[in-house]
Amino acid sequence: MPDWGRTTLELMVQELQHPVRLDESFDRRVMVRVRRIYAERRHRGIIGWLGAAASISRRPAWAAALAASVVAVVSIGLIPHGGGKRDAHVGQTIPVQFVLVAPDARSVAVVGDFNNWGLGDTALVAENHNGVWSVSAPVHTGVHRYAFLVNGKQWVADPTAPRAAGDDFGQPSSALVVEASTQ
Amino acid sequence: MEGPTGMDSSDAALVARVLHGEVNAYSALVSRYRDKYARYAVHMLGNREDAEEALQDAFTRAYRSLARCEDPERFGAWLFRILVNRCRTSGARRVRRGQTFVHDETALLNASEEHPAEQTMWREEIERALGELSADQREAFLLKYVEELGYDEMAEITGVGVSALKMRVMRACDRLRVLLREVHSA
Amino acid sequence: MRMRTTRSLLALLLIGSAFRTTEAQDPRLSNRLDAPTRKALFAIVDSARAQGIPVEPLMEKVYQGLAMGADGSRIVVAVRSLTLEMGNAHRVLGAVATTDELKAAASAVHAGVPAVELGKMKKQSGLRRSLTLPFTVLADIVSRGVPVAAATNAIKSLVGAGAKDKDISDFQRNVSVDIEKGAQPAAAAETRAKGASAPTPKTEDREHE
Repeated sequence: MPDWGRTTLELMVQELQHPVRLDESFDRRVMVRVRRIYAERRHRGIIGWLGAAASISRRPAWAAALAASVVAVVSIGLIPHGGGKRDAHVGQTIPVQFVLVAPDARSVAVVGDFNNWGLGDTALVAENHNGVWSVSAPVHTGVHRYAFLVNGKQWVADPTAPRAAGDDFGQPSSALVVEASTQ
Repeated sequence: MEGPTGMDSSDAALVARVLHGEVNAYSALVSRYRDKYARYAVHMLGNREDAEEALQDAFTRAYRSLARCEDPERFGAWLFRILVNRCRTSGARRVRRGQTFVHDETALLNASEEHPAEQTMWREEIERALGELSADQREAFLLKYVEELGYDEMAEITGVGVSALKMRVMRACDRLRVLLREVHSA
Repeated sequence: MRMRTTRSLLALLLIGSAFRTTEAQDPRLSNRLDAPTRKALFAIVDSARAQGIPVEPLMEKVYQGLAMGADGSRIVVAVRSLTLEMGNAHRVLGAVATTDELKAAASAVHAGVPAVELGKMKKQSGLRRSLTLPFTVLADIVSRGVPVAAATNAIKSLVGAGAKDKDISDFQRNVSVDIEKGAQPAAAAETRAKGASAPTPKTEDREHE
């Protein structure tokens, strides 16, 4: 340590070493950003694939091969956790039962935001009990648009659920709000 | 704090949980290092607002690249390296914006209860003197004397060689000596 | 464009290194979205992210469109529409709004509720509670024929009176049953809102902390 006004230096360092306390809201602000990244990453496969495909004509062969091997969205981190809002506790799942009365149906499946609308064989296949079709599945907290797919081709909204407003490609769908369990 | 996130867990354990999808475990790491690194950011950047932004940015970047943290047990040091870089970028931005090194908020932060006025003035003098240093010198001085890192650690964090760091620390001390003597003789 | 290519490739590399993925790319996606559609969607999603709009709901819309057999241009229209609606919601609700609130708010905007009304509701309720369910129910009752003003007032009064999500869910169910039985939508909403508004002083809503 340089031998000059050692007392002054020590006093200065002592002053600078006082702890600096940030507001607790700082943690919340950081976690909001972090959870957004987490949520976006769950779909980054398709985004990266979209981006790669958009510029495919200009990339060398090795990059095209790499792009071709990009995996699609997978469901990551469906780990039960404490209660809270979706952004607050992304990852918590709650069992939900879907029921549709359709005595004449041959098959009923449930598809929606929570299972990529059945793409990649993720549709929830309902069981028939005398015309009452039902299936239960863990659905992560949040708001989801969904519908029943009857006989593989007819889209039916859930008569017991709120209607989903929005561009639904001319087909009916419903809104499901799944809330975290309280502790 | 939102729910149990294992405040007793080691950094490595928390990092592992985050990488396995338990995003909320990251909040324990944020709480653990928030205040510790806020101090460096505040003194380096001279105001709380920029310091908070740099620190938020550092935590976010650390999360994004968490899988590339080679030694999760030393997450703190790895995060600090990211923060030091963010402070460099933020400082450069500040220069381009033509802003001066503002001390008011920092001066008020830790005003002594016993002698508030004197302490605040002394604090302001220190911060003003720090502001007179070049960014490199300030960085080196803070890491060496305030954060009490060894030169090897400093080299790892800053990417600068040990001898260059020693030179920066020495020049910082020389400059501070002049500045503070001027103040005291005034 | 080179930056975008680099960014896309970086995204691909990050995916590989950061996560262990277990599902191969769904060939139906690449077959069913032509290059112009993919390009258009990427631009919309990229722009949304730059504005701070969560992109997950946009991707869900893509999946929905594919599942429902919509062609590429139709999907682009839907995603663009949702982006605009979420952008409006984001502007009035601010950074404190969660992704779910923005999704639900976008539904309400699509149903015809002015975004500014949603902003007023958010200001009224503050950070105490999530408005995901109230916004969802608002969109629902408007789509069932309740005039926008009556629907907005009903939900506002419920939220303002401290009604819990369960109460608002019950309100939605009752209104829809009343309308199915022939009640005038506005009358149904007003009547049920009066009944559901909690008469007791507000209590701390710990459920949504």
